[in-house]
Parts: sequence; C-alpha cells; structure tokens
Amino acid sequence: MNRGAAPLVQRGLARLAVAVVLCYAAVALGLGYWQGLQAQALTNDPGNPLVAALRDGPRGRILDARGTVLAQDATVGGVRVRRYPLLAAEPVVGYWSPTLGSAGLEHTYDADLSGLAGTSPVDELLRKFGASSATPLDVVTSLDMRLQADAVKLLGKQKGAIVALDPTTGRVLALASTPSFDPDQVVAPGTGPAYMASLSAPGNASPLLDRATQGLYTPGSVFKMVTAVAGIGSGAITGATTYRDQPGEERSGFVVDGFKVVDGHHDFTGTTALDFVQATEVSCNIYFAHVGLATGAAALRGWARRLGFEAPIPFDLPTATSQVTSGGGPLDGFVDDVELANAAYGQGTTAVTPLQMALVAATIANGGTLMRPTLLDALRSPGGTVVQQTTPRVWQEVLSSAQDAVLREAMTGAVESAWGRPFAGSAAIPGVQTAGKTGTAQLGGSGEPHAWFIGFAPAAAPRIAVAVIIEQGGHGGEVAAPLGGQLMGDWLRLAP
Amino acid sequence: MIARSLAGIHPRPRGRETSLLLLAAVALLTGWLSLATTQAGRLSAGDPGLLVIYLAAAGVIHVLFVITGRRTDQVLFPAVVLLGGISLLFMARLPPSLVTQDAGPAGVLTLAPLQLVWLLLSLSIIAGLAIVVRNDTWLRNYKYSWAAAGVTLLLLVFLFGDEVNGVRLMLRVGPIVGQPSELLKVILVVFLAGYLAENRALLAGTSLRVGPLDLPPLAYLLPMLAMWGIALAVVVVQRDLGAALLFFAVFLGLLYVATQRTSFVALGLLLAAVGSVFLYAVEPTVQVRVAIWLDPFAQALGSGFQIVRGLYAFGRGGLVGTGLGAGLPSPDGTLAVPALHTDYVFAGLAEELGAAGAIALIGLYLVIAERGLRIAARGADDFRALLAAGLTLVLVLQAALIMAGDLKLVPLTGVTLPFVAYGGSSLLGSGICVGLLMALSDAGVEAPAPPQALTRGERWRARGRGVAGRVERAVR
Repeated sequence: MNRGAAPLVQRGLARLAVAVVLCYAAVALGLGYWQGLQAQALTNDPGNPLVAALRDGPRGRILDARGTVLAQDATVGGVRVRRYPLLAAEPVVGYWSPTLGSAGLEHTYDADLSGLAGTSPVDELLRKFGASSATPLDVVTSLDMRLQADAVKLLGKQKGAIVALDPTTGRVLALASTPSFDPDQVVAPGTGPAYMASLSAPGNASPLLDRATQGLYTPGSVFKMVTAVAGIGSGAITGATTYRDQPGEERSGFVVDGFKVVDGHHDFTGTTALDFVQATEVSCNIYFAHVGLATGAAALRGWARRLGFEAPIPFDLPTATSQVTSGGGPLDGFVDDVELANAAYGQGTTAVTPLQMALVAATIANGGTLMRPTLLDALRSPGGTVVQQTTPRVWQEVLSSAQDAVLREAMTGAVESAWGRPFAGSAAIPGVQTAGKTGTAQLGGSGEPHAWFIGFAPAAAPRIAVAVIIEQGGHGGEVAAPLGGQLMGDWLRLAP
Repeated sequence: MIARSLAGIHPRPRGRETSLLLLAAVALLTGWLSLATTQAGRLSAGDPGLLVIYLAAAGVIHVLFVITGRRTDQVLFPAVVLLGGISLLFMARLPPSLVTQDAGPAGVLTLAPLQLVWLLLSLSIIAGLAIVVRNDTWLRNYKYSWAAAGVTLLLLVFLFGDEVNGVRLMLRVGPIVGQPSELLKVILVVFLAGYLAENRALLAGTSLRVGPLDLPPLAYLLPMLAMWGIALAVVVVQRDLGAALLFFAVFLGLLYVATQRTSFVALGLLLAAVGSVFLYAVEPTVQVRVAIWLDPFAQALGSGFQIVRGLYAFGRGGLVGTGLGAGLPSPDGTLAVPALHTDYVFAGLAEELGAAGAIALIGLYLVIAERGLRIAARGADDFRALLAAGLTLVLVLQAALIMAGDLKLVPLTGVTLPFVAYGGSSLLGSGICVGLLMALSDAGVEAPAPPQALTRGERWRARGRGVAGRVERAVR
C-alpha cells in the first residue's frame, strides 16, 4: 500500500470542523429567525394554543372609530361573558366563546384582546419576572356604526353584502353581510352549541358566512371596470377607441369562435360606433368583449392581479380569492377566446368577492392608486395609550392618474349622463356628482340574476367607494344601485 | 487477574474535569431551583432527589476516572453530564405519565425516573469504555464482521421489527425493546474507519476520468454504492428517513477526511439527490414530509400540526425564554407539541430557555465536536483518527439534523437529540460513542503485552475471534 499518496488526515479534519460549525451556525440563524424576527407573529397567530390558554382572563373591548362599543366583557352571576351590544356589527366583530372558539375580529385580534401580545418588548421581559401581568388591549376599528347600521338596514331581509371604504386611505367604513347572527346567543353558556347548530343547518342561508369578504359571486357588468383597467393600463385601448363593426353586431351578434355575444339593451345608440365612455354608460357587452380580446388573456389576468385578484387579499379578516377564470385552459388559463370574451364583461367563470369589487371602485376613485384595505385603526391600552396605530399604505400603483381620468369620466357618465341614467341613474345622489357601474350577473338556469353596483362619490373628490350585491336580486340598476347611492349620500351627510 | 490490573493503576488528578463538573452541577441545581420555584409559586427546592442521584453518579464516575488514572479527555464527560442534566430537568417538568413502565419490584416508573435510569446506564457505559478499553484491535481487525453484524441487525428489524406510527424501528427481544439503528450507527462508523484507513491511499491516488468528474476506480466505487443502497434500504425498510440521512452524511464526511477529494463528495451528493427524487416518487410518507416542511401552516391541524405547534413554542420562547416550568407544553392535559419529550425536545427547551438557552445547548454540541475532532487529529494512526471523527460526526450531525428539523430548516426526521431526548436506545448508543471517544483520547497507554496463558474467558474470546477471522478472510 502506498501510504505516501494519501493526504494528511488533519487537513481533512480541519475542513470537516468548518462544515460542522457552518451547520450549527445555520441552526443558530434559524433560532434567531423564529425566536427573534417571527416570535411576535407566531405568538399572536390565532391558531396558537397559548392564545386559548388565556381564555379565563379579561379581554379588551372592540370599538368603532367613534368609540361605540361593539364587544366587551360583562359579569353575569359571577361569570364573565362576552357581550355584543350592536347586532349590526356582525359578522365583522364575530364572537368569542371559551367552548366554541372565535371568529371575526375577535379571532384575528385574539392575542391583543387577551393581552398576550404585550405592549412592548420591555413589558414582555417584565412579565417573565412577574412584574407585569397581561394587559388586554382595546381594538379600535375603522367602522362607523352609523354607516354600518345604515348598510344593514338597506340590505334588510335580502341576502347580500355591502362594502364601503374610504378610497384615499383604504379604511373600511362599513362591511355588511346579511343574513347574520346574534353573537350573544352564540356565547351564551349552555344554549350556544344548539344555536350554532341551528345556524349551520342546511336550508339556512349560511348566516355565519361573511359574504362581504368570503362570498364569491359572478360579477356581471361591474367586472367591465376591471377589463377597462386592463385595456387602458396595457394600452390596448384608449378613451377614443371604437370598433367599426360594433353597431352592426348589435343586431347580428358578435361572433367569437362560433359563439354569439349579444346585447339588445341599448337600441337607442343606433349606428353610432361607441367610444369607451359611451360603451361604459350603456354597458355594452359587445364593446367590452372586443376590449377583452384586444387586451389578451395574459394582460387581463395580470391587471386583475394588480387589483388584488388571484390571491387572498391581505386584510383583517379571512378573504376568499377572486378569479378572472377558473383556470386550467390553454389560453393563459382561459379555455378559448369565447371564455375570454365572456369574462371581459363579467360572465364566463369569473367569480369575485364584494370586497374585491369595492377595491376596484376605490382604485378608480383614488386616481389609479389602490390603498391597502384595513379594519384596524388602533390598539389601545385600557388607559387610552395608543399602542399601535394603522397608517394608510399604498398597496398597488395600478394606473397613472392620467390613465385613470377616463375611467372616472366613464363611471360618472354611467350614473349622470343621458345615456347612462336609464341603467345606473338610480344611484345618483341629489346635488352631488356620483360615479358608478351596475351589474346584472346571469347565473344560467331560470334563477333571478345577482344585482351589483360599484361606485364612488363625490365623483371629483371621492370620499367613499362602495360595492353592493343582492343575491338573486334582479337588475343591478333597479335593486343594487339605489342602495349604493343612498349609502354614499348618507355618508356624505354624516361626515361632511 | 484483578491484582494484575490493579498493579498498573496510578491515580492521577483531573483538575479540569473536576471544575467543569462543579460548574455543571451548579448550573443544574440552579435550574432545579428555578423549576421548583416556578411550579410551587414561591421559593422552593422541590424534591431534588432525581438530580441529586444523577449528580452523585457523575461524581462517582469522576472519582473512578481519577483513581484509574487514565490520561483521557477531561471536557467530554462534563459536557455530557450537563446535557443529560438538562434532559433530566426537562423530563421532570413534563407530565410524568407521558411514559410509564412497570419495573417489577420497583413499582411503575414514570418519565423522569425512567430517563434517569437510562442516563445512569449511559454514563456507566461511558465510564466502562473510557476505563477498560485500552486497545483497538477488536474494532480494527474485524471490520467486515462488524459490517456483517450491522446488516444482520438491519435484517432482524426487517423481519421481526415492530411498527410504530408507520415506522419500523423497534426490535423486541423478550422484555427488552430497542431501536437497533442507534447501535447500527456505531457499527457503521467502525466499519467505515477500518475500510477507509486501509484503502484511503488507493482511493485518493488513483482516478477514472468521466467527463468533468474525477471518479475513483470502479472497484472502490462499490462501497459507496453499497452505502447508498443501505441508506435507501433503511428508508424503505424502516421508513426511517433520519437514520438514512445521518448514515450517508457520516459516510460522506469520513470519505472526505480520508481522501480529501471534492469529486467524491460531489458524486455522493449527486447520488443522494437521485435517491431523494426516487424516494419522493415512490414513498408517500416522504411526499408528506416534504409538503409539511415547505408549508406546515397549510395543514396546520393535519399533518403539519406538530411542526406548526413546534414553531409556536419557539416563538413563545423569544430571546430569553419563559423560564423553566413556565412554558406551556400542556395547557389542557395534552402536549402542546406532540413528541415534546423526543423529537421536539429542542423546541420545548427553546421555549423555556429562549434563544439564549438554545444557543448554549448548541454550544455544548460544538464543544463535543471540538473535542472529538481534536481527538481525531491527535489519533496515532489513520484508523483511530477516522474512528474518532466518525463517532463525533454521529453525535453532532444527529443533533444538528433534529435541531434544524424542529426549526423547519430541513424536513423533519425522527433522529434524537443526543443525551437530551427521552429514549434508552439513543442514550446507550450515544454513550458508546462518547465512551469510545474518551478511550481513543488516551494516547499515553500502549497496548498491553500479550498474555502468558489463556484463562477460560480468554479461550472463549479466542474461539470467537476464530469465527470472526474466518469472516474477514472470506470477505477479502
């Protein structure tokens, strides 16, 4: 054996030592990541059993932006229970029960409400030495209960949802979903489980589902504003774009791969080749089918993603994912041009949440800039000290304000112009320029369509943007638009 | 015979070990005080019986080391005593009913007392090996016999092993249940050290060029392929991903030390990658492991439950921890993290001792790594160097693998945290590693002169060597 050929073992050992040290350095970095950077987020995660372990302690209150109490502790016969004074705040506020768990804001901010999250790192450290016990925090929401109650009243006995937010900040002002439930009955000791069972019984209209954030609906014509954002944003169209064949196709139908897109609801436009604003005013399906095909599948989805589609919206409550297409097809997820053309005016396999459509309205209202939607205004200690304050944050710069101007003009025209008034005029707020877009989402079969409205006001300097849906309510212009206009008008009076 | 052995004994003070052991004892007693105080809600020493027994045993072994006067390493033992003590503290803190065993006349033993029994056995093995082993021929000359024993063990598990949670790890012999893979690790290192020490010059010197790869000659590739096959077999047969990974990593480490050829390691990693892809394709359990590693929160209440709960524990601990006994392993009687006493003991300790305590724990394993590799570097010849390096790697890579698994840095595998996790087989296997390392650290003792006449015991041993010798010749 030729021993001389083998290298010194010692040199190999030295390199092995380096490798071992690197392994352990990686473990130490992992510790730093989870125990340093991520520690607070993990501790506040509602799934964390530690949060549940503090269930016997007092909890902070949930308040609206003006200090109205939405949830607080009360002592009944020596037992601490949760009380919810305002039914209209459901299902946003949710419930918190030691036996049935939690939902809504009670769930999201469980760690803060129970005091587990702590007020500062120093406080955390002191608590380990027993110097400071858990400090439950008050959750101050951006809701205005006057507007929230208004929204719930407007929905009445119909199934549906209303989302209202301040387009310049993203603060959610109202988030209504009907039918809803009575949280006091959910948390009532003894009878709570039976009540919960009755809520989720088949045949009941899913009162536990927050339709505003988790209901997925066919959008119909309100989706044309998404197509418009994609068309204008990608440069596929301008405000002046017309399609020469469109007037003829109003009579013969616009044939895409053998499928016929039809309109028939605006005969009065006659032989005029509609431009973008006019097409929006009369909600021309054929025009927007053309826009969708001109924009293309990839760009339509890409711009929809910028508006928040295709991923859960980062928000204080769980959100369902809105989609342009159910995907899987060869044409960037679309099956073919027929599906693309249908999706462009909101049919196809498109499905959206009311919150998503409110964000579309808010983006157009805010000069093309999408603000991140928020429900939390602040966390406050019992003494009133603000521990955490939400500041408005830009989520996406979707369009330039120059590009956005024509979309605003179109939505204003849809409510205020002679051509638009027959369709969305019912949303007009007396004395205020109002912008909006209606939708009547055909569901196939014989059922009534979903009635939609999205809009904002005042058109020139918007202070509120809304989305309204009434499930199987009928025509958007007749059923949803009046509610949207009423709510926005009420807000302009409430917060002048 | 005893008289002859005693005649050669000259007590020798071990100052460094004494002071380090005292330091460990102070740390552990402080920890006990902290735990008992937290549990009682006022200053209390609780019932420190278990810890006192443990420390007393460590003291006795230290005295034995002094009396027998061998020039063995003085840092390894205190490091192990501290690790084992931390384990004892944590087991005493967990619900006692987590593990129970009927111990006949001694009644039913619960978690902490059981762990104490295993710890004492482990320390005894260390002491026994460190004092008695003076010569390595029994390891050096019979590498193929050891390999055969290892393969037999693997076969036994395959044929008679008990399946627990879909993992076939346990071998039952009468009342004794054990995990043979813990023993297999040591056997593997012995074989590899022997094989590589003998062949490393050839492995390092000759080569076969294939494209960009500078490969060893085919005949020498076979052991590597065999190792790869064994690792795969361990996964397929035992569904024990951790042991397979560990075996292969130790093998690659030793191969590199022996040959210092990066191309071998690259080839090994390539083989590992191919094996991983293969296993991912055929083993659904591997697919689940990978899925919950990438995103445990997607299955937070299902297959990702344990990982998610483990991460919560790390988060709760923060930088300084909740303090011993103040964490929340069992808010409602069930463990907050499943397997908190075995696979997730690191997460539990990190919750109560914080990142600071966890990093101290990492430091203890680095101490073991430093001592072990130093012993290897001072080894009298290649075999002793490679053996020491291999034993060290088994301990420290295993610790790194499970710590990284708890932290979601690598997919979770069921290897144990040496000397800290609950479990007899692991403690005994780790004890053998440390005991042999200590024995190897004594370079001052020459091999004893051959005996003049064979006693009865020695005749049996010679007969055994005859069988093993035949195995060796057959393999060559």
